[in-house]
Amino acid sequence: MIVSRLIEKAMRKAQGAQASLGQSESTSVSFENDKLKSVKTSQSTGMSVKVIVDGKIGLSHTTDIEDLDGVVARALEAAEFGSPAHFVFPGLQEGPDVKVYDDAVLGVTKEEMVHIGNEMITLVKEYNSDILVSAGAGKSVSKAQFANSAGMAYGTETTSFGVGVNGQLVRGTDILLAGHGFGWKKREIDHVEIAKKATEWFKMAEKIAPIKSGDMPVVFTPEGVNVLLLALSLGFDGKNVFLGASPISGKLGEKIACDAFSIADNPLLDYASGSGKYDGEGVPHQVTPLIEDGVVKNFLYDLDTAGRAGAKTTGNGVGCSPTNLVIKEGDTPYEEMVKNTRQGLLVHDVLGLGQGNPISGEFSVNVQLGYKIENGEIVGRVKDVMLAGNTYEALKNIAAIGDRAEWAGGSFLSPPIRIVRLSVVAK
Amino acid sequence: MRERMDKALRVSNAEYTEIRIESVNSSWASFRGEELDSIGSSRTLGGIVRALVKGGWGYATFNDLSDLETRVRAACQSASLVGKEESKLAQVEPVVDLLTATLEKDFREVPLSEKKSVIEAYNKIVLGYDDKIETSNIGYSDSFRKVWYGNSEGTYIEDDRPDVGVVISATAREGDNVQRGFESVAGSAGFQIVEGQQEKAEAAARRAVDLLCAPPVTGGKYTVIMNPKLAGVFAHEAFGHLSESDFVYENERMKELMVLGKRLGSDILNIIDDGTIQGLRGTHKYDDEGVKTRKNYLIKDGILVGRLHCRETAAKMSEQPTGNARAIGYKHQPIVRMTNTYIDKGDATFEDMIRDVKQGLFAVDMVGGQTSMEMFTFSAAYGYMIRDGKIAELVRDVVLTGNVFETLMNIDMMGDTVECPPAGGGCGKGGQSPLPVGFGGPYVRIQNLVVGGR
Repeated sequence: MIVSRLIEKAMRKAQGAQASLGQSESTSVSFENDKLKSVKTSQSTGMSVKVIVDGKIGLSHTTDIEDLDGVVARALEAAEFGSPAHFVFPGLQEGPDVKVYDDAVLGVTKEEMVHIGNEMITLVKEYNSDILVSAGAGKSVSKAQFANSAGMAYGTETTSFGVGVNGQLVRGTDILLAGHGFGWKKREIDHVEIAKKATEWFKMAEKIAPIKSGDMPVVFTPEGVNVLLLALSLGFDGKNVFLGASPISGKLGEKIACDAFSIADNPLLDYASGSGKYDGEGVPHQVTPLIEDGVVKNFLYDLDTAGRAGAKTTGNGVGCSPTNLVIKEGDTPYEEMVKNTRQGLLVHDVLGLGQGNPISGEFSVNVQLGYKIENGEIVGRVKDVMLAGNTYEALKNIAAIGDRAEWAGGSFLSPPIRIVRLSVVAK
Repeated sequence: MRERMDKALRVSNAEYTEIRIESVNSSWASFRGEELDSIGSSRTLGGIVRALVKGGWGYATFNDLSDLETRVRAACQSASLVGKEESKLAQVEPVVDLLTATLEKDFREVPLSEKKSVIEAYNKIVLGYDDKIETSNIGYSDSFRKVWYGNSEGTYIEDDRPDVGVVISATAREGDNVQRGFESVAGSAGFQIVEGQQEKAEAAARRAVDLLCAPPVTGGKYTVIMNPKLAGVFAHEAFGHLSESDFVYENERMKELMVLGKRLGSDILNIIDDGTIQGLRGTHKYDDEGVKTRKNYLIKDGILVGRLHCRETAAKMSEQPTGNARAIGYKHQPIVRMTNTYIDKGDATFEDMIRDVKQGLFAVDMVGGQTSMEMFTFSAAYGYMIRDGKIAELVRDVVLTGNVFETLMNIDMMGDTVECPPAGGGCGKGGQSPLPVGFGGPYVRIQNLVVGGR
C-alpha cells in the first residue's frame, strides 16, 4: 500500500505520521434552460501526509501520487515551524458497520442519467411550460487508503449518487426560483418524486401574498431548518468551544433549548453523505448526542482539539465539524402546524445565510422561498421579506416539532419546526 | 507542454476542443488563539478538456497527465452524446502568448517560517488589544497557479496567476455576547502586500470590542450611505450577476427584462466590469477561453449598455465576447463570471451626502452577499446610525436587502472618488467558489433601502 510506504519514509525523521490516499472517478450530466448542456467525466487523485516532529505538526498535500518523497519532505519542512501536537496517533481499532457502497451506482450509464434529467424536466414543464428548467444527475466511485504510525490502517470504497431539478419562472420583473434535489451514497433515488416536489413548491407559489411586518409564528420546512442549524454547527465545533468563540462554551449540562429538542451527530446512518466507518484521522465513528431534551450533552472534537481541551475525540476529525446531523422527531403533524397558524410564515429557502456573525446565533436573511400562512392555510408566496432572529432564542421558543423527519440534503435529517415568533420585515 | 497538448488536440473529432492544464503550488499558515493552528503546503497538477459537438459540451477532468489523448477522446465522446443542434462560438483571433508574473517579493521564495512570523505578529496585536478579546483567527495563504491553455483554433497561452492574502479576525466576548471584527488584504501580487498590516490587526480587534456595546440595527427602511468597499459588493451582488449573460441568452423573458438600452438606474449610475486593472484579484490578460479581458461598461448614465459574455453566449446573442469566461480551477469548465466590478465616481462629497439625512444608516465594509437574480442581500461588517446629518452610534448586524430594479433607481448621490480595496473574498456561482474577484466604488447614497433586523 502506498500509505504504508509514505509512513515508512516519514518515520525516518518523524516521531509520528499519518498518510491518506484517495482516488475517484465521477460522471455527471447537466441540463440548462430545458435541454441537455454537457456531460462531464472526472478522474482525480490526491494524497496527504501529516507528521509530528519534536512535538510539532506539519502537513502536505499533492495530486501527484508518484511523488512520495516530495510530499513527505514538504510535510517534514512544515513541521519545523509547525503547530504543537496535543495528541498521539491512535492504534488499530475496528470501526462500527455502516453501509457506504452500493454496487448499483457502478452500472449507471450516462444515457440513464440523461434519461433521468429529461424525465424530471418534462414533469416540471407539464405543470407549467413557462418554467425554465435546469437539472442534473451525477455519480462517483471513490477508493481511499489510510494508515498511521501507531498501526491503524484501513481501506475503503464508497459510492455516491445524486439528482436535482431547479426551475425559474419570470413574470414581469418577478423572478421565482424553486427546486429540489437529493444525493447520498446509494443509487436508490426516485427522480419522479424529486420533480414532483420541485413542482409542488411552484404550485404553492402561484399567487404572491402580501405580508405585513411584525413578529409572527414561523414554520421551517426541513430544508428551512438550515437557518437555525448553521449556528449550531459552528457552536458545537469543539475548537470554537475551546477558544471561547462559541456562545455555548462552558454550557455542558445546561439547558439551552426547549424539552422536546434533541439533535445528534450521526455518521452511522447507512448511505448518508456524511457516513463512514472512520473519521479522517482513523478514529472509529460514533453517534454523538449534542443536545438531548434541551440540554447540552457533548461538543464535537478531533484528536488535536480534544487534546487541547482535555476532552476525548468524538471522531469528527479533522476539523471538529459534524458528519450527519439528525434532529429528533416531535409529535405534531406538519399539516397541523400549518392549520394551527392564524397568521404566519412558512420558510423553505433563504438568501444570505452565514453573512454577519453566524456563530452568535444571530440571523437576518432574505426569504428566497417562503409562503404566507393565513387562517391555517398557505395562501401564496411572500416577496421582499427579511426574517431575523437568534438561533439560541428560537430554540427556547419552539412551539412544535414535526412528527416526521425528512432528508434536507444528504447529511441532514430533520422534521419541520415551528417557532413561536420571529421578526419579519416586509417592504 | 505545448507539444503534448497539440498532439492530444489532434485526436479530437469535435468541432472545437481545448485543453487547460494547471499546476498550483500553495502554502498556508493560521493562528487560532495563542497557538499556531495549521501550517503546510500543497501541490496540485491537473487539467480539463472541453469539446464541442453540435452545440453540446463534453468535459473531462483529470490529475493523471500521462495520457492526454484518452482525456480528449472522453470529452469528445461525452460531447457527441449531448449535441443536437448547431455549434456557435464567437470568433476570436487566435493568439500565442507566453506570460510570466514578476512579483516584487515572490512568496514562493519566502520560507514558511517567515510567513508564520508575519501573522504571529498580527495575532499578538489582536490578542493583546483588550481583555475582552476572547480569541483570534489569523490566516495566511498563497497560491501560484501556472496555466497552460491550448485550443484547436491555434491559440496557445501560458499564464502565471499569483494570489496572496491575509485574513484577520478578532473575536470579543462579554457573557453570551460574541462579536467579531474582520480585516483582510489580498491581491494578485507579491508577499509585500501582507507585510506591515499591524494597523489592520488593531482595527479588527477594536471593532470586535466596540461591537460588544453596539445594539443591533432596528429593521426598517433607511436612507443608506455605503462606503466604497460595500458599494463594490453592492455592484457585484445587486447588479453584476444579472449582467452575466448565461442567465439571459436562452431565456426569452430575461432577454426582455435585460434588453440593452433599457433604463435600470438613476442617471448618475455607471457600473463597469474591468479585468485589466493591475494588481486586483479579478485581473488576467486572458480569460479561461483564451479571450482578452477588457473594460466593459454594463450601465452607463443609468442605461443598460452591456453584459458579460463567454464565446458561446456572445455568439448566441450576436454580441462581442468580453473575456469573462472564468473557471476556479482545472476541475471546472469556464462559465460567465465577473472580474473586477465597480461603480464609477460622481461628484458628491461625503459631507454633501450626509448633510440632509435626518435618520439614516452609514453602512461600512462587507462580510458577504448573495443574489437570486432580482433579489439581493448583503451584509455590512458594521454601521453607524445617521441622525440629523451627523454620524451617530455604532450598530451591528447590518443586512441590506432589496429588489435590484427598484434599488438602482433609488441611488440619488454618488461620491467623487473611486476606491478598489485590495481585500480578500471571492465569488461563488454554479458550484465554483471562491473565484477571486475585485470590486469597488465611491461612497453611494440609496433612498428607501430595506435593512433587516428586529
